[in-house]
Amino acid sequence: MQNQTIVEIHSLQKKYGQKQVLHGIDLNITSGQIIGYIGPNGAGKSTTVKILCGLITEFQGDITIFGKDLRTQTLEIKRQVGYIPENAVLYESLTPLEFMEFIGEMRGLETEQTREKAEALMNIFEMKPNLNQRIATFSKGMRQKVLICSALLHNPDLIFMDEPLTGLDANSVIMVKEMLIHLSREGKTVFYSSHLMDVVEKISDRIILIDQGKVIADGSFDELNEISNDENLEKMFTRLTGNTNHGEKAEAFINAFEK
Amino acid sequence: MPFRWFIEKMGADYNQFIRILQLKLTLDDRRIKVATKKNKNAQEKMLIKQSLGQIFMGVFFSVLLIMIKSPFTFFYLAHTFIMALMAMMIISEFTTILFDTTENAIIQPLPIKGNTMSLARNAHIFIYLTLMAFNLSVLSIIVAIIKFGIISGLIFISTIFLNVLFTLFIANILYLGIMRIARGEQLKNLLMYFQVAIAIFFMAAYQLGMRLIDKTQIQDMVLPVHWYTFLVPPAFFSGFIVGLSTLNFDLQHLIFITEAIVLPILAIFFTGKYLTPVFNRKLMDLEQGDRASKVKIESANKSLWYRLMSSIFVYNSDEKAAFKMMWKMVGRERLFKQSFLPSTGFILVMIISSFAGKPFDLDKISQSNMYLLVLYSSLICVFTIASSLMVGPYQSAVWIFKTLPFTSSANFFKGTIKAAFVRFIIPIYLVISVIVCIIWGIKVFPDILIAFLCGYLFSILNYYIQLPIYPFSMEKSAIQGGSIFFKFFGVIVAALAAGFLHNFLLGWFPFANLLLIPVYVGAIWYIDQVFVYRKINWKAVDLTNNFS
Repeated sequence: MQNQTIVEIHSLQKKYGQKQVLHGIDLNITSGQIIGYIGPNGAGKSTTVKILCGLITEFQGDITIFGKDLRTQTLEIKRQVGYIPENAVLYESLTPLEFMEFIGEMRGLETEQTREKAEALMNIFEMKPNLNQRIATFSKGMRQKVLICSALLHNPDLIFMDEPLTGLDANSVIMVKEMLIHLSREGKTVFYSSHLMDVVEKISDRIILIDQGKVIADGSFDELNEISNDENLEKMFTRLTGNTNHGEKAEAFINAFEK
Repeated sequence: MPFRWFIEKMGADYNQFIRILQLKLTLDDRRIKVATKKNKNAQEKMLIKQSLGQIFMGVFFSVLLIMIKSPFTFFYLAHTFIMALMAMMIISEFTTILFDTTENAIIQPLPIKGNTMSLARNAHIFIYLTLMAFNLSVLSIIVAIIKFGIISGLIFISTIFLNVLFTLFIANILYLGIMRIARGEQLKNLLMYFQVAIAIFFMAAYQLGMRLIDKTQIQDMVLPVHWYTFLVPPAFFSGFIVGLSTLNFDLQHLIFITEAIVLPILAIFFTGKYLTPVFNRKLMDLEQGDRASKVKIESANKSLWYRLMSSIFVYNSDEKAAFKMMWKMVGRERLFKQSFLPSTGFILVMIISSFAGKPFDLDKISQSNMYLLVLYSSLICVFTIASSLMVGPYQSAVWIFKTLPFTSSANFFKGTIKAAFVRFIIPIYLVISVIVCIIWGIKVFPDILIAFLCGYLFSILNYYIQLPIYPFSMEKSAIQGGSIFFKFFGVIVAALAAGFLHNFLLGWFPFANLLLIPVYVGAIWYIDQVFVYRKINWKAVDLTNNFS
C-alpha cells in the first residue's frame, strides 16, 4: 500500500459564520508517510483535521479518502481512520478499559480482542495498573495516553493527530515519536497537526505549512530548506508566516510589563 | 455607600466582588447563547418559558391562599411556600453553583480573598433566587394587593428579599454540616442523596399537607401565636407585614418587625464573615479529595440481569455497545441521578397521597381497580428520564461519537434510553408489581404487563421526540425550567389518558383490556424500528450538538 494516494483534497473551503477559515486547500497525501501539518494559531489546522475526520460536515470542496467520497461514504472512511483530538475530554465516570471496550465494539472488534489490545497498548504507556481506575482521577497526560490508545485500537491505516503530545511527559513524547516512525514504516499514514516544530522537523516525511487558511509551503524539510536556506523549521516557520520581528515584540512586551 | 460598607465589613474586597459577579453573570449569559445556538429568539423564548414555568409552579402551590381571610395566616403560608420552594431550588438547581470549583484554576492564583470569592458565589445565587422567588410569588403578590391593599403588597415584596437572604443562610449552614461529616467522592454522593431526599420530602410534605388541610375551613383559618411562633421565619416576615401595614406596634409585632429586619441581615453577615471561609476551605478539600478517593468499579456487564436485559431489549451491535456503556454511566453519573432519582420518590408520594385521608380497608382496596393508579403512578419517572439523560458536563466529549462508524446515529440513542430504562425503571416497576400482586392477586398480571408496555412505549417515545442531544452533554440551566415543566405535564396527561383507556376497557367487556397488548407491542415495534430512524439522523444530530 506504500506510495498510493489515499487522501485527495480539492479546493477545501470552510466558513464559520462570515469568517472564512480555509481558503481553498489542495492536497494529495500518499500512504506510509508522516505528514507534519503546521501553522500559526487560527491558521485552520484543527478545522482541516476535523473535516477530514468527519467531525465537521459542512464545507466546500471535494475530499476523497481511500478513494471514497467523504460526504457520501463517511462510514466506510471512519472504519479505516483513527483520530486523536487536541483536548482530552473523555467520559470521566468510565474506566479506560470500559471506554476502549465501547470504542472497540463500535469499530467491530470482539470484546476479548479489544480488551487484549487495550491492555497491550496501555502497558506500553505503563498504564496497565490504571485500566480499571476511573478516568476522573487521571492527570491530563494520562488522559491523552488513553486517547492515543483508543485511536489505535482498530489498527487504522490513516491516523489524524491534533496536538497529540499535549500534556505528555518527556519519556512518553519520545515513545510516541518512535511509535509514529514505526507505524509509517508499516505503511500507515500519519497526519500530524502540531505547534511543536522540533518534533515535526524530526519525524515528518513531508511538511505542510498553512497560514490564514492557505498552504504556503509543502515538501520534505530538506526540499523546503533547499529553497529557503533556513537553519531549522522554527526559523522557516517564522519567516514564512511573517513573524520575524520577535526581538522587537519581546522588547515591547517588557516595556508594557514594566509600565 | 452602605452596600459597599456591608460587603467590606464581611471581609470581602468590594471591587473584586463586583467584577467576579459580573464575570459569573456574563458566563451564564454566554452559556444560554451556546445552548440556544446564539439564536436571540430562542434565548428569549427559553427565558420566558423558564419564568412561565416558575409562575405556573407558584400558582400550583399557592392557589389555596386565595381563600384565606386572615392577613397573618395568608402571609405566613405565602412565606412558607416561598421558603420551601427556595430551599428546594437551592438544593436541586443551585448546589452545582455553590460547589462550582471550575473557576478555581483561574481565580485562585489571583490575589483574591476566600471571602470575596464565596460572597460572589452567594450573591450570584441570590440574584437567581430573587428572580425565582418573584416568579413563584406572582399570584400571592396579586392576591395580597387585592385583598389587603397596596401597602401590604409592597411590604410583602420587600420581605421576599429578606426571605431569600435567610433561606440562603440556612442552606449554607446545612451544607457546612454535611461537609463536616464526609469528603471527596463520599461527600459528593452524600450531597446527591441529600438533595434527592430533600426534594422528595418537600413534595411529600406538600402533597400530604394539602390533603390533611380541611379545605372547607381554610378561609377562616387563623394561626395562633405561641412563644415558638417567634422562632419561625415565615411568622416574623408575616408579623412584619401585618405590623407595618396596620401600624400596629404592640410588643408582639415589634418583636416580629425587629426579627424580620435584623435576623436576615445578621444571618447574611454571619454567612459572609464566618461561614464562607470555612465553606471555601471545605470546597478545596472536595477538589483535592476527588483525586485521592478510591472509587468502586463494578463489572456490570458480567451480571445476569445485564445479560438478560441486553438480550431482550437490544438488537444490533451498535445499540449493544451503546447500551453497555450507558448502563455503566447512568449508574455513575451524579447529575443524572440527582435529576432523575427524586421522580422515583414521587411515585411513592403519589401512591401514599392517593390513599391518604381515607379509611384504610385492605379488603375494599383489593376489590377495587386502585392497582391501576399504583401501576400508572410509576410512569412519573418515565417522563423525567429523558431530560435527566441530557444533563451533564460532557459538552466537549461528543466528538467521540462523531468519529465512530455508527451505521445510524439513532442506534446510540436507542441503546442509551434502553440502558436507563432497564437499569432504573424496570427494578422499580418490578417492586411495584410484586406489591400489586400481593394485594390484588395474580389475576391482575395482564394489567401489570399492559401498564409496563405503556411505560416502555412512553419512555422511548418521550426520549426520541426530544432533540437528539448526546447524553450528559447539556448544562442543566439550558434544559431546566419552563419547557421541561410543560412537557412533563403534557406527557402526564397522555399517561393519564392511557390509564383511563385501560380502566375503561376493563369495565367494557371481559378481557377487553388484552386488546391493548397488541396495540402497544405494535406501537413499540414501529417506534423502535421505523420512527426512530426517521426522527434521529446525522443532520438532526449535527444541528443539535456542537462538534466544532
